[in-house]
Amino acid sequence: MNRAADQSEANPLREGLSTRAVPQPCSVVIFGATGDLTHRKLLPALYNLAADGELPPAVTVIGFARREKTDEDFRREMEEAVRKFSRQTVRDEIWKTFGQSIFYHQSDFSDEAGFKSLAERLDKIDKERGTRGNRLFYFAVAPDQFEPILKHLKAAGLNKACEGSWARVIIEKPFGSDLASARELNRVVSDAFSEEQTYRIDHFLGKETAQNILVLRFANAIFEPLWNTRYIDHVQITAAETLGVEGRAGYYEGAGALRDMVQNHLLQLLCLIAMEAPSDLRADSIRDEKVKVVRCLRRMTTDEVSSNVVRGQYAEGAINGKSVPGYRSENNVDPKSMTDTFVALRLNIDNWRWWDVPIYMRVGKRLPKSGTEISVHFKKAPFVLFNKETNEANVLVIRIQPDEGISLRMQAKMPGTSFRIEPVKMDFHYGTSFGKASPEAYERLLLDAMSGDATLFARRDEVEEAWAFIDIIENAWSAKTKAPELSFYPAGSWGPEEADELLARDGRAWRRF
Amino acid sequence: MPPIAENYSLGQPVEIGKINKELKKLWQERENAMTRASLINLALYSEKAGSLEKNTQLIARITENHACRALVIGANRKSKESRVEAWLNAHCHVTRAGGKQICSEQLSFSLEGPCVKLLPSVVFSHLDSDLPLYLWWQDDFPDPMDPQLWAWVNRLIFDSQTWKDFGAQMRLVETAQEEAKQRIVLCDLNWTRLDKVRHAIAQFFDHPASHHHFSKIESLNIDYGSGFKSTALLLLGWLGAQLNWKVNEPARNGSCRFVDANNRKIDIELRQREGGPIGEVTINSSGVQFRVIPAQCEDLLEISRSGENETALPQMMPAQSNDPVDLMTQELLRGGPHRVYLRAVNCVRELL
Repeated sequence: MNRAADQSEANPLREGLSTRAVPQPCSVVIFGATGDLTHRKLLPALYNLAADGELPPAVTVIGFARREKTDEDFRREMEEAVRKFSRQTVRDEIWKTFGQSIFYHQSDFSDEAGFKSLAERLDKIDKERGTRGNRLFYFAVAPDQFEPILKHLKAAGLNKACEGSWARVIIEKPFGSDLASARELNRVVSDAFSEEQTYRIDHFLGKETAQNILVLRFANAIFEPLWNTRYIDHVQITAAETLGVEGRAGYYEGAGALRDMVQNHLLQLLCLIAMEAPSDLRADSIRDEKVKVVRCLRRMTTDEVSSNVVRGQYAEGAINGKSVPGYRSENNVDPKSMTDTFVALRLNIDNWRWWDVPIYMRVGKRLPKSGTEISVHFKKAPFVLFNKETNEANVLVIRIQPDEGISLRMQAKMPGTSFRIEPVKMDFHYGTSFGKASPEAYERLLLDAMSGDATLFARRDEVEEAWAFIDIIENAWSAKTKAPELSFYPAGSWGPEEADELLARDGRAWRRF
Repeated sequence: MPPIAENYSLGQPVEIGKINKELKKLWQERENAMTRASLINLALYSEKAGSLEKNTQLIARITENHACRALVIGANRKSKESRVEAWLNAHCHVTRAGGKQICSEQLSFSLEGPCVKLLPSVVFSHLDSDLPLYLWWQDDFPDPMDPQLWAWVNRLIFDSQTWKDFGAQMRLVETAQEEAKQRIVLCDLNWTRLDKVRHAIAQFFDHPASHHHFSKIESLNIDYGSGFKSTALLLLGWLGAQLNWKVNEPARNGSCRFVDANNRKIDIELRQREGGPIGEVTINSSGVQFRVIPAQCEDLLEISRSGENETALPQMMPAQSNDPVDLMTQELLRGGPHRVYLRAVNCVRELL
């Protein structure tokens, strides 16, 4: 996470200037350069880094896609995208030089010759622009395109770097759709790139508050002594969206909320909340601890899936006073679709720290509010002194998005002569305390990949362990007999009633979001 | 409720002994519309006439990015009359997301005559508890300095560019740091002024393949604006300290000579030119020139590397603004000790 010390030894002029690893000059090759991700996220992120002076000046961007177009056409297209989607206003002076670092390489992903000419072009760029043989390949394409691209990269020798240089690959989720496909995908990737060269991006981990979880837990001595089964009653993680399936029905129909959100984003957040302190801040030290959490997740039997997991799908309803259709009536959705747009789970982590502390997760579309929050519910104080009715537990809430921040609910005496106790909230908002805007998650993650810092990227074993856990639930859902039912909820509600019952059975309730 | 217009006045006069009571009242009146926020105590001290008003304007802008309790102190030692006055104000800004206003409070003090000695008691009794104290001292430091004051300061902010006698002032500051019971971080805004140009120079050498140039540097030219020679010398001191150079021949007409660890000579030329604090910087090393120049638009730096077999590809990086609010904002964002700064000072101490 912080290799500044190592790098300052290499470049003495960096000492004291930067507290993060310094990115190296490189060529960034984007496969799927004409796609939405490139327009909305990747190019705006690279521009913002350049404008903030964070990007090494020699960095070159090469868009690789099938469509016929010139470098100039591509630059114009990217300029339009950056002007539309960048978090800061585009300045002509900066664009003039940044735009000149953008190139377009037209080729089909299955055309071997296109990759050979890419290799030649990259060599030329290395000489002309000083990118020094460093290459970052970004796969902004569907996973079924990975194999031909990787095969041809390898055939063109682009998977290996010259001595003193590096070649890395960034893969966008989904990393497979189950354990078998994830393993196959990893096999395909590892055939061309080693694990050290592979960066699996999960943009949730690039968010400021997600990174702050480790700081909150391990830089503040007051929390860690309480962070265990003795003091924590349960943990809730909620990722809510008011949006429906929008234009992603094609993908979503085959994925559903469990695969789309729980397998990656929510389990990653759980790992940060539940992991042990790493021995140091090296990427693998942190990821070693994270993967142990997933390994400790209690595996469920089919019957246990029925009682611990609720799957739902939104029906017609209203969001913000506007009527919205049910999932099955959305464009490109099967009218008999059984896809889950909502999942609630009760999980257990079988280790010493988390024994008997249930973790409740819920994720859903068309819920009343959008936001992602983690809440740690502490055990109640013994109510020997005060009135039983007023005894509320302390809750520590970590808001991942929007309005990033941390709050702590505690008990306070109401003013007056009577002894009335009410909960009050201590609230920290990033936006209130720090005027400076946080960088977009993609900015941070691209910079990390250029610096060789894989801390915020998922490792192979993390991904596979997560799928092994998710597969059990998916298999139970698709079983021919005794498959748990799909529950429906009106759009604009907090999911099916069964989700509330999941906690009510344990004498608990979802936190008011 | 519409946002409250920014108020550059000192605010309402208040009796020193009633400040806490009046502060409470201020927030009670406004609590539904705004949030009080504070991350640090930021004290500003100046003996210049009109400094209270000027610093109020600076604080209004600084609090856009750094919520704090500001203690603005204007002192007049020469006054024969002993007088203390105080005012109370708040600076409110709408958050990035819109909606609620975030407010920082400002306590202003005017100390005249013998009352200037009351400075420590004025500051200490009005600190926001548990928050660090950053003291921005805007004048030359008095000799002797009041040890009672330094004992409470976490970060001492000053601008060595304004010092009349760098050596004497630096000695005072270093003595204060040694004597302080607590660790004081020295934050020189003249050093902060070099942040971006240091970034621009450092990035040339990020790749290990560029490191061989360190031992082949033949000459260094630094252009500086009128009044910013000390800034240029600090930049030279930084390169010298980090690359293990030592003064070989002291300055003569803007030129001097350093030697590296292998006793190899490096010619230095410092030239005063029209423009901002730091102008063009060039480093020549075995046929390669590393160049940083201010771009025409002034808030960007144009950087390039050129050589016999290399095509120069100019790139843009952000330049350092010389606006005091921008310098302070940057300094407040940094944190941590400034060890490299002290090494840079030591490297060029005899030239400063």
